[in-house]
Amino acid sequence: MNRLYCRHRNIIDFALSSLLRRTGKNVALLVVYTLVVFALASVIFFVQALKREAALLLKDAPDMVVQKLVAGRHDPIPVGYGAKIGAIRGVSGVHPRLWGYYYDPAVGANYTLLVPDDRSVAPEAVVIGSGVARTRRLSEGDFMTFRSYDGKTVMLQVARILPAESELVAADLVLIGENDFRALFAFPDGMATDLALTVRNPLELATVAAKIADQFPDTRPILKSEMLRTYDSIFDWRGGVMVVMLGVALLAFIIFAWDRATGLSAEERKEIGILKSIGWETGDVLLLRFWEGAIVSLSAFFFGVILAYCHVFFFSASLFEHPLKGWGVLYPQFRLVPVVDPYQLAVLFFLTVVPYTVATVIPSWRAATAEPDAAMRS
Amino acid sequence: MIELARVTKRFNAGRANEFTAVRDVSLTVARGGVTVLKGPSGSGKTTLLTLIGCMSRPTSGRVVLRGIRTEAVPAADGDGIEISGLPERFLTGIRRSTFGFIFQQFNLVRGITVLENVMLPAYPTGEAYGAVRTRALDLLERFGITRHASARIDLLSGGELQRVAIARALINEPAVIIADEPTAHLDSALSRDFMAIVGSFKAAGRTILIASHDPIVFESPLADAVVEMRDGGVIHGGSAA
Amino acid sequence: MRKSTVFIAVTSVNLALCALLLLHARLRRGEGEAALAASAALAGRLQLTDLCLFTEARYTRHPAMADANAPFQDHPLALDHFPSGSLVSPPAFGVRRHE
Repeated sequence: MNRLYCRHRNIIDFALSSLLRRTGKNVALLVVYTLVVFALASVIFFVQALKREAALLLKDAPDMVVQKLVAGRHDPIPVGYGAKIGAIRGVSGVHPRLWGYYYDPAVGANYTLLVPDDRSVAPEAVVIGSGVARTRRLSEGDFMTFRSYDGKTVMLQVARILPAESELVAADLVLIGENDFRALFAFPDGMATDLALTVRNPLELATVAAKIADQFPDTRPILKSEMLRTYDSIFDWRGGVMVVMLGVALLAFIIFAWDRATGLSAEERKEIGILKSIGWETGDVLLLRFWEGAIVSLSAFFFGVILAYCHVFFFSASLFEHPLKGWGVLYPQFRLVPVVDPYQLAVLFFLTVVPYTVATVIPSWRAATAEPDAAMRS
Repeated sequence: MIELARVTKRFNAGRANEFTAVRDVSLTVARGGVTVLKGPSGSGKTTLLTLIGCMSRPTSGRVVLRGIRTEAVPAADGDGIEISGLPERFLTGIRRSTFGFIFQQFNLVRGITVLENVMLPAYPTGEAYGAVRTRALDLLERFGITRHASARIDLLSGGELQRVAIARALINEPAVIIADEPTAHLDSALSRDFMAIVGSFKAAGRTILIASHDPIVFESPLADAVVEMRDGGVIHGGSAA
Repeated sequence: MRKSTVFIAVTSVNLALCALLLLHARLRRGEGEAALAASAALAGRLQLTDLCLFTEARYTRHPAMADANAPFQDHPLALDHFPSGSLVSPPAFGVRRHE
């Protein structure tokens, strides 16, 4: 056992000497390799954590939301629909929701304005999310200026700021009273943005939805399961930016492996010949090549994953802020709860370590099996 | 001692460039002495050295090692070990522990230090690093090149490289030293130095085998047997099959 | 100092760090869930349906509520001009009729 350990250590020694002969190149390779792993691992951590938080935060979302569509676009729904929908068996409650978007030209940010069900916001007052407070530099008691649709300026006082921990759901929220909402948007009375339904028995959801779609063909019911499924497929590897990123990363891995796999240079072949002539067996040479590949790829994997974890869970994935923010001005500050997905990390490990190590070992097979006396004859 | 019985080595058998390097050679290398293979280039000296040193296997004929103790093959075979039929793994094991090679081109690894070069043959054996390192440093000291221990070999002179190669050949404490044209890159003074070192090996009881066409070597008083070769065959000094 | 010593040391440190981070994940789970619970309660009270991740466009702010035509609001062949549109896949209502 000790002999085996010593053997491996000696060979690792020489593998490192070998790598250090081209220090610049190999260090650059390690750095780039680490960066690629870092990017992929960051995405894995970020997406897993986000999905989990979505599932937990939205578990009390409405059972069903009914929207009205006009020419395929979302339109305000008459509250009167609610009475008839409430009569459907299985529906235990109908709550018309009033919510919409407001564009604030002062900072260029979009806010979500919402009228809470429990009428907890006083007239001419607003409760704002901490993201809004941050962007507009507001504190409790300050006044917020809104421009209503008919051109008038409306001043509303900030009654409360929502806690910072709720940024992920409420960063851009502005909770407003119903009268203020309707006045601001000239929102017609008797209309609501959509209807939120309470359906006690989840098995009845499909039936109820079918009935609603039947009775009101101009509406679109959205089930809670569908809402949550949106977040299951968020940042899906198969779509948009993610597929590009994955493609680039795979290409990087292929390029690294290719560099190793395209045969050995004459000098490398000569060196293997020398090793064989001084008493190294084929197995020893292959082990040496294995360690050369493993040292680089293992190190890159560990550095990349550790850095990615710190990036996502200690620094709130700040490097992703720019692409995620896009053109938006408001971006939530949040601390994700750490989630480690062993399956995806294992896949990343195999992607990182195996092809590169194999690409280092295989091409040297030929040279490694050469006759030891070949070095003498050259 | 090492016995060769009707050994033939053919390269590229069956192809257009088939070439017989060693033809029907029978030879006995005595233990503890200096045997010199003499002959012009192309006479098969180098190939014969590789056959004796377990570096390659003969196309036909037998190579037998007798009375040479090696840990690689535990069975104490009174009749000697026939190495011609052994699989590569055993062959390498025997070679590593029994033979030390000094190549004509030195065959040192570029880009690593002298010390590491000397220790290299012992790496895959799994021997403890500390012990190997001590031995390597002792060897460097013995040949007066300790000050170069951490230097890259690119910076050394021919004579110094020669001594590094010798040190490397001795790292596994072999019973037999094999040198191929050791004085080819050396001037007369250094060549005589080399023979002095050979003398010290002989005094220590090792068997030495040198292939050379340098008179300083084959006319040296240290040479116990001179085997003359030409065109792959022994013309003088061999033994009957 | 042998080179392999350095490598083994570095790798051991890496492994130890990984173990520490796993531990950290496990520990933070507990306190994180508590904070999440408060936000989940707020979301439930306000009947929220979406996370506030992208505030650029309404169909990326509320992907669960978005209709299929929202990205094409300018004209029928419009390309998506919000970067976050490429990050959020279209909502799952393609499979209609809730069977």
